[in-house]
Formats: sequence, C-alpha cells, structure tokens
Amino acid sequence: MTGKSLRRVLIANRGEIAVRIIRACRELGLETVQVYAEPDRQSLPVRLADRAICIGPARAAESYLNATAILSAALTQGADAIHPGYGFLSEQPAFARQCELAGITFIGPAAQVIEQMGDKAAARRLAAAAGMSITPGSEGIVTSHEAAAAVARDLGYPVLLKAAAGGGGRGMRVVRKARQLAAQFARAAGEAEAAFGSSALYVEKYLTAIRHVEIQVLSDGDTVLHLGERDCSVQRRHQKLLEESPAPGLSAALRARLGAAAVQLCRHVGYTNAGTVEYILDEETRQFYFMEMNTRLQVEHPVTELVTGIDIVKAQILIAQGQPLGIRQEDIVWRGHAIECRINAEDPERGFLPRPGRVERFHSPGGPGIRVDSHLCSGDVIPPYYDSLLAKMIAWGRDREEALARMQRALSEMEVTGVHTTIPFHLRLLCDRRFREGRVHTRFVEDVLLEGL
Amino acid sequence: MSSQNLTYQDLLQIVEWIKSSAQFGEFHLKMGDIELHLRRHSPPAPAVLEVRPPLAPPSPSPTRLQQPRSQTEDTSLHREGLNGRMTTPPDAARGVSSVYPEHTVLITSPMVGTFYRAPEPGAPPFVEVGQRVEPDTTVCIIEVMKLMHSMPARHRGVVTHILVEDAAPVEYGQALLVLDPHVDAASPEQTAGALEPR
Repeated sequence: MTGKSLRRVLIANRGEIAVRIIRACRELGLETVQVYAEPDRQSLPVRLADRAICIGPARAAESYLNATAILSAALTQGADAIHPGYGFLSEQPAFARQCELAGITFIGPAAQVIEQMGDKAAARRLAAAAGMSITPGSEGIVTSHEAAAAVARDLGYPVLLKAAAGGGGRGMRVVRKARQLAAQFARAAGEAEAAFGSSALYVEKYLTAIRHVEIQVLSDGDTVLHLGERDCSVQRRHQKLLEESPAPGLSAALRARLGAAAVQLCRHVGYTNAGTVEYILDEETRQFYFMEMNTRLQVEHPVTELVTGIDIVKAQILIAQGQPLGIRQEDIVWRGHAIECRINAEDPERGFLPRPGRVERFHSPGGPGIRVDSHLCSGDVIPPYYDSLLAKMIAWGRDREEALARMQRALSEMEVTGVHTTIPFHLRLLCDRRFREGRVHTRFVEDVLLEGL
Repeated sequence: MSSQNLTYQDLLQIVEWIKSSAQFGEFHLKMGDIELHLRRHSPPAPAVLEVRPPLAPPSPSPTRLQQPRSQTEDTSLHREGLNGRMTTPPDAARGVSSVYPEHTVLITSPMVGTFYRAPEPGAPPFVEVGQRVEPDTTVCIIEVMKLMHSMPARHRGVVTHILVEDAAPVEYGQALLVLDPHVDAASPEQTAGALEPR
C-alpha cells in the first residue's frame, strides 16, 4: 500500500462513536462529513462535523444502512474516505467493496477479509489452520445419539447439543450425564426440526465458568501488533455491560499466548487495520478457544487506549492512509488499569428494557482518570430506532482498586434525568464482593448478580 | 421557553406525547412566531402535524434552531438545517408549504445525490420558472452513483421557484422546486385533485 493522503472523512455512523471519529479526524487535521437520518438532525456529531448531510428517514435500512445513499453523499461532498464505526455497515464486505469501486478509502480491512471472518464456520476453520484452539466438539454434524455419545465420551461431560442451522438458544440442550444423552438428543433434534426445518445437531464441550477475553490488534499490513486484552465477561444475554483491561488475574504468560495467537491469525489471513480476536477463556484449565474475530472498531476500545496510550481510531485512519505503524510489539507498555461502564437508556429494574425518551439533564463527570465518550446533550430525545448506548464512562487508575474507586465516584457524579439508565446496575455491580475479587464469568450477571432480585 | 429554543427535539417529543395519548383529539400551541397544530384523524391515521412559521423566504444564513416549514404525517419534521442546509422530507411534496404561499407544492429530493436541471450539459433545462407542468413532466434529474433518476412533477401547476443550482449536491428531503397549482385554476383541465395525496 502506498501512502495516500486523506483530506475529508465521511462518518457513516451516529451517536457516541461518530463523535469519537470526528475527534480523531480533528486531531489529524482532516475535514469531516457527518451523514444523518432525520431524527439525528440536531445531534452532537451533526453539529460538530465540518459538513453534515441528511441521507434518509429514521429507519436504519433507509439511512445508516443505505450504502447507496452514503456513497452518494461521500461523492457529492468530496469525501475521500469513509469510517464505518461499529455496527451498521462496518462489517459488510459488499459495502467495503463498493467504496473501493467508487475510489473511496474504506477505513477498515479489505472486503475479502471482512467476508472470510464474517462467515463463522470459515473463521473457525481459518483459526484452526492458524494453529488456534477452537471450542472442542464434533467435526461436523452427528446423526444419531450413539454417534453423539461417542463424541461426548471423548470431550467429557457436560456437553452441549446444538442445532447446526440454529441460533437464539433453540435446539440447544445441555447434557450433564451420559445416561441423559439419548433423551436429550431426541428433544434437541425435534426442536431443531421444528424451528429450523433441519434436525442436524453437533456436539460441543459445554464450558461453564468461562470468561470472555478479547485481544485488540493493529496491523499496517506489514507489522501486526497486539495491544493486550479486555475482559468482557460482565454481560447479559451476550450484551456487554462492563469491560476492563487488564483481565483480573490473567498472567503475563497467558496474555502473551493470547496475543501471539491473535497476531498469528491476522498474519494468516492478511489482516490490515484494527480488529479484535475474541476468545473463550476456561479458568479451570487455563485453556483458551477462538470464538470470533470482529473486523472493526469495538465499542470498548477506549479501555485499551487508556492502558496503552495508543489512539486506536487515529491509528485506523493512519493505516488507511498507508502509513506504517512505526512501533514494535516491545514498544507497547501497559500502564495501570482501565474499566468501561456502558450507560444505556435501559431500565435495569425492568429486565433492561430499552426506554427511549427525553433526557432532561445530562451532566458528565470529570476529574482525575475519568473519560466520558458520549453524544448526549441535555434536552436530547433518545430515538427508539437505534441502540440504547448513551455514554461510555471509562475510568483509569494505577491499579484496579483505584480505577474502581474512580468509577464509583464518577458514576455517582453523573446526572441523567428523564430516562432510566444502567447507572444503578453498575453501582451495584461495583459493590459486589465477587466482582471486586475478579471472580466473574459470562453467566455472572444473570445467574449470580441478578438472581433473587 | 421562547420560540428560539423550541427545538426539533421538543416538537418530536410533543408529537410523541400526543400520539401516545388517547385524551387529545386536537392540540394547538402558539409560541411567538411558531404555531403548532396537531389533529388526530379517525383511526388508524396518526396525528397530523401542521406547523406554521412566519411567511419568509428560505434564508441561507446559518441558524441553529429552525422552524418546520410544512405538514407531514409522521414525526419527521423539517427545517432549514444547520449551516443553512435546507431540508424538507418528500412528504412535503403533497403538503402545504408555509414559506411559500400555502397552496404551493414543494418538490423535494427523495435521495442524496446531484441535481441536474438539464438532460445533458449544454442542453436546455427541463423546466424554467413560469413554465406549466403536468404530473408526468420531468422537472430534473437526481444522479446517484452515476445512475440518473428522472423526477416527475407529480402535480399539475406552474413552476414558481427553482431552489437549487444546476449540478449542486442535494440531500435527502431537500426542497428542489416550488409549484403553484392555482395559477391557472381557471383552465378547464385543472382538477380539484391536484393537491391530493397520491
């Protein structure tokens, strides 16, 4: 890739991440074009950007997911690059390809890599080929309970029966003992047939008390670096609520192994730009398994920025311009501890129900070690059409204790009136002894913290 | 609250409240220059929003909070954008403009693209101010990614304003032309349905 200097970047996203990207562009001296759907006309990113252009009505399919409208906006506004942020078009290979055809730099990896990693089965194969462990399980589908029993014997109980065509928990059964297998197999196959029109099942090792740990990578196509891990085990229904780096209790040796494997995978697939490799970490066995790779910027990237001092969004833009990273793995130093709490417009008292509405007052806290990434302003109406993320509060401390204390202090300073938020949930979580001791897993919020409320 | 700080968000919120309440059949608000009139049609039609700012030509001056300029059936209000970006959703094409005389029709861009007044460079424009158009008369082309979309007038009338320069970029909902359907009201082919929703 040869150096091409960008002049004007179009932001194909909204909310806090649009603000984040505009900030990075400003610092690099680049002009910004903010596209928006009608309900976002008054939003902060629209007001901050050098130019703004309405691309459609509220419905995302007609605005933020409308590749043609966005490309047309880029062409008419003379943008030479598009930053897709996260969500929306960020992981659609067709969009990256269209940008390329239109002569616009897509700030992210090549379309072909997005495509490969987006296909979960293909990604698992690539990860295995790159030498990574994938969650142990049957090679393909199993057609009888006898075949399933043979696989389960090798894996060791408990095992998970999963519909090959499935998703959303249907056709999924946990089998704890060998004698339950035949009955559970019949039930899972029946459910799978009813839900997906196919009774094909596969068997996977059922991992309990697992943690979700991910590695941030940066690649200029030549140099591939990892910026360490983030622990994202605090989640509810696969929605992350709090992320931190470093992962509590993770040894330097294990971090190095996770990082090296992620770098290896990136090299194997020819990855460029920023990305995240997600792992399942089994606490008991210290084993880690490849889960998936996100070929885009993550919501929780600031956690890594605070401990490494590297601006990931600026790095993305510089890489897209063809600039070499200019640092080596040994230059990356992790300092202190960072935690991010996602402040969503959801009511934790009512099953985290999204609650759009009007924010009467928003006061963002500050002080030592606090960073707030948000698009929110007092008086804003939270539209019901998009995700409920209002703000990301990130606290840094010399150690986890200090970061936690700062987070608690800042959360109690933060003022959001008029809508329900996840702030009370975070305050309760931060007081929990098990959380403070770093004893969390992906089922912690649902099975432990919210149990018995 | 003065009319200067009655924002788009405020209006959205008001519309939401009225929509979600069974108590109101009609709602009228007058604040300085802004008049807001909401009326619930018989179900299932949603509340109809009519906002009438003072009669004034569209101004290109940067204005933060602007008044919506015409009526629409959903919560998508329209106003002049920040930095003078003027926008009106396509629904306004069948509504009533309040910046232009009430009975006029705004033709708005259904997409982001480039506005062309003529079929090709150097060719005569599709329409000129003062020209009579039929619903199927092409008034302009919007180019999106090298694809040319011919835009019909969709109404019968006389072109009173052309608001956009040839080859200028336009955004979704931006007003392009103004038609006056009443100029030749005396003519026999003028039908009462010219202003009705399609």
